[in-house]
Amino acid sequence: MGIQEQYRSEAAELLSSGEVKLVIGFGAGSTADRRRPLFARTPEESEKLVLDQNCIANLTTYLVAGGLLTDGKKVAVFLKPDGIRSLNILIAESQVKAEQVVIFGFAIENNEVTPLEGRSISDFAKLGEKLRTATPPPSVQEEAERLEAMGSSGRFEYWKEQFSKCIKCYACRQACPMCYCRRCIVDVNQPQWVSTSSHTLGNFEWNLVRAFHLAGRCAACGACDRACPVNIPLRLINYRMGKEVKEAFDYFAGESSDQNPVLASFRQDDPETFIL
Amino acid sequence: MTRILPKNKLDDCIAAWQKAGFSVLAPVQRHGMSSFGEVQKASEMALDLILTERTIKDHFFPQTEPLIKYKISKHDIDSETMTPPERKRIFFGVRPCDASGLEIDDPLFGWDYKDDYWFRRRENSVIVSIACSEADDFCMCTSVKLSPDSTRGADVMLRPLSGGNGWQVEAISERGTALCDTVSSLLQEETAQAAPLPRVDGKFDVEKVMEWLADKENFESRFWKDISMRCIGCGSCTFLCPTCHCFDIQDEGDTYQGIRRKNWDSCSFALFTMHTSGHNPRNAQSTRWRQRIMHKFNYYQGKFGVNSCSGCGRCTRQCPVDMGITETLQAITNLPR
Ligand code: SF4
Ligand code: SF4
Ligand code: SF4
Ligand code: SF4
Repeated sequence: MGIQEQYRSEAAELLSSGEVKLVIGFGAGSTADRRRPLFARTPEESEKLVLDQNCIANLTTYLVAGGLLTDGKKVAVFLKPDGIRSLNILIAESQVKAEQVVIFGFAIENNEVTPLEGRSISDFAKLGEKLRTATPPPSVQEEAERLEAMGSSGRFEYWKEQFSKCIKCYACRQACPMCYCRRCIVDVNQPQWVSTSSHTLGNFEWNLVRAFHLAGRCAACGACDRACPVNIPLRLINYRMGKEVKEAFDYFAGESSDQNPVLASFRQDDPETFIL
Repeated sequence: MTRILPKNKLDDCIAAWQKAGFSVLAPVQRHGMSSFGEVQKASEMALDLILTERTIKDHFFPQTEPLIKYKISKHDIDSETMTPPERKRIFFGVRPCDASGLEIDDPLFGWDYKDDYWFRRRENSVIVSIACSEADDFCMCTSVKLSPDSTRGADVMLRPLSGGNGWQVEAISERGTALCDTVSSLLQEETAQAAPLPRVDGKFDVEKVMEWLADKENFESRFWKDISMRCIGCGSCTFLCPTCHCFDIQDEGDTYQGIRRKNWDSCSFALFTMHTSGHNPRNAQSTRWRQRIMHKFNYYQGKFGVNSCSGCGRCTRQCPVDMGITETLQAITNLPR
């Protein structure tokens, strides 16, 4: 039995036994190679689940949307390693209870899908270490190095051009599992803290807010980057912020589910170079 | 015999138009995004794109637009109304769906009062459309009763020659005729076949859709929840849509000075309908999605006699979760009745 069939039948069992109320996976999309999030509530619906090399979205986002888990019931979700990493962060930040999530883990390597063993987050303890020591994909590493070599004024010009494309659609925020705030700071309008105007300055404001709020919290799943309709390489911002946090605090977000969130906790030996 | 614009005369055309006081905007690929931008030479144009990611709407109804500058001092209040520059522009290589989008929005911006910001730009612009020679899986102009060579909203229609070396030229409006006159010496009279139009299969039955939406019983249907479950509520589909036109007025600055701006807004956002009290009549994504569909295929039709969709397909093409209006309208078409 292939992994797709195996996961389908397991999902059907979980649903028919009432163990989970919902399975969040992938279904066929509007073209041959598109996949879309699929919500299966019945064993019959789980027959429509698809699992192949095109299933790249991070479905963790749905766990924290619309109060899905507030009833205490369990949900099963299809996750790649970066999805599991983001689930670790959500658990560490007390947004999701580990026992409410059943994981159908899978990895995509060289266009092949392989199952990841284990169904509960505690089964993936070793994965964090592996992710921490992995090299980032060339699409990130090489671009990041190119930007590094530009120097600060070159980088400023680069980001000015990129941010001038932003239309403040907030797809990056909506796609991000870590942007679960009930009211995002840019939506706080009594008074309006961050201007809603999408001119270059306003776009800088938004993208800086996003960058800082995701520092030490980003799972590098690339959801924001893929969602951005004007192709701003948001992955490069996330990567750079992740690097800063690693250098300053030796911290890798999402390595495990019992981490202390780095910017919401402190250690005696934290650097204090910014305190005058 | 038809009038032909040979491809190798395009640079001369641009020069002639610039001499006549026009700026020329065309599809361009810049900084990793395709949109309409000003060009000096034909080689800067990305005319092979099926469709630019951004629409020409951006140049008529920009994402942010200053309206009034104000300054309050001890004894006076100074204010200055800011209007868009009176710049003559040619939009070259507009796809028929985007050109139609402008015409669809005209009644909206001219309904209770005439929106100067929109109409000044409209009146100073000439739309030169190019019929499509390629379509993708998301194109759906034919489903909304348009076509890959629809002339709606166009001042001049160009049809690519089958040899690929130029276009048949047809002036549609007076403005278009006048524009062709400025380059008449560059146009040739020839017999040349136009390339065949791409096939764009019908994706849904818009009459059936409208009928279902008009039935008040369906407003609270479970359908809306089921179909929109994966929508994450971003503004992509509205901001990239050539016909979506909602905006918000914001004052930027402080009590003493600042700028009043008109900024894009989207019915996908929860904040769009949030009351000051905190109550939100559209408190779930499904009710916002319903609004988008109802607005486009029911309310707009009721008010202006036309649907607010030109079939460009961007809302599906660019949706981060592979939604878009096509699936919803297909599902409505196929509902048991
Ligand atoms: S950008 Fe910041 S405030 Fe807004 S949702 Fe994300 S984390 Fe929350
Ligand atoms: S998704 Fe892209 S365009 Fe939209 S708000 Fe984010 S950065 Fe801006
Ligand atoms: S349909 Fe897609 S693009 Fe539109 S709001 Fe929903 S997620 Fe965003
Ligand atoms: S609703 Fe979708 S297909 Fe219709 S005009 Fe808008 S973006 Fe294009």
